Amino acid sequence: MTEPLPPSPPHPSGRSLGRLDWFVFLVADVQTGFGPFVAVYLTTQHWTQIEIGLVLTVSGLVSLAGQMPGGALVDAARSERIVAGVAVSLIAASALIYATSPIFPAVLVAATMQAAASCVLGPTIAAISLGLVGYAAIGERFGRNARFAAVGTGLSAAVMGAIGYFFSAQAVFFVTAALLIPALFVLRGIVSAEIDPERAHGNPSGQPAGKPRAGLRSLLRQRPLQIFGCCILLFHFANAAMLPLMGSVLTTRSSQWATVLIGACIVGPQLVVALFSPWVGRQAQRWGRRPLLLVGFAALPIRGLLFATVTDPYLLVVVQLLDGLTAAVFSVMVPLTIADLTRGTGRFNLTQGVVGTMMGVGASLSPTFAGYLSDAFSSRVAFLGLASIAVLGLATVWLLMPETRPPARSPSLNRQAVVGPLP
Amino acid sequence: MRDRFGIVFLATVLIALGAAAQPDSTASPSVTILETQEAQSILGRDVRSLTDEDMGRIVDILVDGEGGVRAAIIDFGGFLGVGNRKIAVDWKALHFVPAAGKRYSVVLELTRDQVKAAPEYKEGKPTIVLGASGNLEPLP
Repeated sequence: MTEPLPPSPPHPSGRSLGRLDWFVFLVADVQTGFGPFVAVYLTTQHWTQIEIGLVLTVSGLVSLAGQMPGGALVDAARSERIVAGVAVSLIAASALIYATSPIFPAVLVAATMQAAASCVLGPTIAAISLGLVGYAAIGERFGRNARFAAVGTGLSAAVMGAIGYFFSAQAVFFVTAALLIPALFVLRGIVSAEIDPERAHGNPSGQPAGKPRAGLRSLLRQRPLQIFGCCILLFHFANAAMLPLMGSVLTTRSSQWATVLIGACIVGPQLVVALFSPWVGRQAQRWGRRPLLLVGFAALPIRGLLFATVTDPYLLVVVQLLDGLTAAVFSVMVPLTIADLTRGTGRFNLTQGVVGTMMGVGASLSPTFAGYLSDAFSSRVAFLGLASIAVLGLATVWLLMPETRPPARSPSLNRQAVVGPLP
Repeated sequence: MRDRFGIVFLATVLIALGAAAQPDSTASPSVTILETQEAQSILGRDVRSLTDEDMGRIVDILVDGEGGVRAAIIDFGGFLGVGNRKIAVDWKALHFVPAAGKRYSVVLELTRDQVKAAPEYKEGKPTIVLGASGNLEPLP
């Protein structure tokens, strides 16, 4: 097996790739319709804070516990397209339930359904991408996904914010549910035959189905994966509470412009992600993963420090743009590093679930930690606390995280793992 | 196991005794009819300032031992769930104006500038209530 050319690299059609762009964009729209509006909407429906808190807690727990089963399900599926279609339909159905019957049992079911379906939908999009383009082009593809997701999130945050303000929170859920139709339409346009299910699971393509997959335990024992998981946990621990805390500081400092400034803080970073993420994907193939991870991570403690020292509300918005830099790096590097680490294991999506769990743990620790610091001391101390967690994460990447990019032109083992043996 | 049965039995007896102790539980309760203009639910209702600024919405009510309403918790400011803060405002600073339509408009005698810097309401901690004259009044 000393062939100079890789055998049958994937040739996804332009149509499939274009439809995937649109699908990522529409899914981001649908997901933005949830989160922030649930609490506001239920408040307008005369729900008490205790009931709303309960619903949010349940959906948080489901989305944490569902990460690994969700990933395992995607790995087991033979058609990622059907899984994606079902997941996005469930999310649209739960939006419709929210809009039409805001009673406790129905909303609890809707929240659970939305959280569980989201656990599946995230890995599925990455799996479809990998199944379509293969390892050689996946960095660039993840960059493109991040761009379309960011445009979707930014645009729909603005549009749905306006709908919620001028019409009602209920209208937001109807719009969200209606987005299902274009989402399913573009999903149909992705040619199923071009998605190699084995490649989508992190196996060499053309592998006969039913090959035993790597065990979960052997997967979790991989040291680079453990280190990467810790980095992701620390990242979200440091990052998740930063924007909410800054938003609350903005509200106390500026009365007239607070809403607009907070809007800019949400949409601005998405623009940065949309601009930079494809570039990040390309450079990741050229430079390797480590330098980009280090740059993305380094922006986080700097942002924390600046939030702790800058007081001018307009400058705070500028500082928040650093979030875009970090997000551009992480939205590409997380699936890419996982793809690197799971080559040939058939566990790409389960591993996404493992890392997703670490992300969830970090993100749920963050507000508690920051809330405690800002109550007991001040928001400045809270920002410094978050920044020091970020420094810890940066040090972990710097000292422990290995480069995961496989040697590009080596003809031996890696190529075997990437494209598989000749049929 | 036997302990649990004992507890259930005891509870049943206590409930039965409690029911028996209720005065005249068979008599029908008194009925008052309130017109929709007279009384309304205010949970989740939008609050405006005197100059018609958006002051958030009412999410909770604080009541003291005598049953008097002391403060309303408003969810103030923010965009898309980011940056909103729960702030306790004096009940007396809130005015409910029967509007031409179906709903009261809720008016708060405070401005955004007065409310923005107020400390956040936290359950289980002493509440700082923002009054109309700008004075801070802690709940007992």
